Amino acid sequence: MSMPFYVSPEQLTKDRAEFAQKGIARGRSMVATTYDKGVLLVAENPSASLNKISEIYDRIAFAGVGKYNEFDRLREAGIRWADGTGYTYSREDVDARALANYYAQYLGSMFAEGPKPLEIEILIAQLGNELRPTKLYHLAYEGTITDEERFAVLGGDADTIKQRFVDADQGTSDLAGALHHAVSALSGPDRVIPAADLEVAILEDRGARRTFTRVSDADVAELLTH
Amino acid sequence: MGLPLFSVGEDPGPSFLQYLDAQGVTRSLPMGVDSPHATTVVAVRAAEGVVLVGDRQATGAYIASRDVRKIEAADRFTAIAISGSAAMGMEFIRMAQLSFEHYEKMTDAVLSLEGKANYLSPLIQRNNLTTPFLVLPLLAGYDVNRRRGRVFEYDGAGGCYERSDFVTIGSGTPFAESALRLGFRDDMTIDETVELAALAVYEAGDNDPATGGPDFVRNIFPMIVTVTDAGFEELSHDETAERFRAIHERRTASGGRPGGALR
Repeated sequence: MSMPFYVSPEQLTKDRAEFAQKGIARGRSMVATTYDKGVLLVAENPSASLNKISEIYDRIAFAGVGKYNEFDRLREAGIRWADGTGYTYSREDVDARALANYYAQYLGSMFAEGPKPLEIEILIAQLGNELRPTKLYHLAYEGTITDEERFAVLGGDADTIKQRFVDADQGTSDLAGALHHAVSALSGPDRVIPAADLEVAILEDRGARRTFTRVSDADVAELLTH
Repeated sequence: MGLPLFSVGEDPGPSFLQYLDAQGVTRSLPMGVDSPHATTVVAVRAAEGVVLVGDRQATGAYIASRDVRKIEAADRFTAIAISGSAAMGMEFIRMAQLSFEHYEKMTDAVLSLEGKANYLSPLIQRNNLTTPFLVLPLLAGYDVNRRRGRVFEYDGAGGCYERSDFVTIGSGTPFAESALRLGFRDDMTIDETVELAALAVYEAGDNDPATGGPDFVRNIFPMIVTVTDAGFEELSHDETAERFRAIHERRTASGGRPGGALR
């Protein structure tokens, strides 16, 4: 009869973290930042149809990096949760913080008990109003949740990109300025990311109930020439 | 409610209705409760889109409300209007709005106008065959794929039929439809269509006790909506009041007789 090897909890957690980090590092990164009128989300994504950024609700956006099938399933669950909550109670009762907590619990349980940890990171962005603040909830693969006011970076290369973002940060600017800043932080000094390889979306109040808008490649190129 | 995750085989897909079913959100209803109802709403095709006009009265044994909105935007290019049980109708509008938006967010694609019209069929069927609160909606909108206005009507069992001219729903239908039959022409402008549709609802309000005509005392008027390539637009209160005042003045001048001509 064979005995299972003993693996210490420290070792197990380390192995699982390493596994998840490796998976996430294989994909491209993304940056979210506030600008004078809303929230900007920028992902490096060569695919024009497999989105990393998506609308969840009137003032809530979702972004995922890492394994597409894993974060897309959570994106769908988020839309269902938001629409279901708004239908049961009221549209103004749909709160990004509650959704971020559910994601954190799920990621945490998959990391500790799942067959394998999820190789993803998630961002839930909320455009503020008189009821709630503008927030960027960053969820790591093991369920760690952080809320950022100004910007968040997701992906394997996050530390480098974050440093580049901070070094060039000149405070809140307009959309073109914020896009410039985010894209140059993503690309670094040595390369240029073509507009077609960028997925860009914004949350901005323009009088309508829904605030999420995708920014087309043409508009991205136009904004970047400013 | 926790995070609604489904296994691959049980995933309800982008349909909000199927998602609610998977969650077990069904509503049981007491039988035999009398709820306010009755309506007249017309949807008429025009050259550049569609025009909808709907009265504002909810009627039970007495007048229950004088300023109900029976026409709502289901999304940017689609209008939905209700007749029948007010409670179910409001729920119906909510469900339709949410379902179209849910589909759009889940798939990153907008449903076709025909897709939206067909989606409502089982909703009507389910409601009308299992509850005493009958709902008969209509769906009208601007088909962005075909670049023209389209109107759809339903029967009580959920059958969906596209009409090439106009649709009327509610208790004032005989009077509104008569006016539309006499006045409808192909390729009317939006302005001409608004004129005709407003007259149709005026006639219904004049003859059907459960349809509210223009209310000059309370300054409440039937709502007028256009859906064109610019999307769903509701005419302002002043503009609507002006339209109905004009009809009313003509009718007053003729001593209440329609006078044979369309006016």
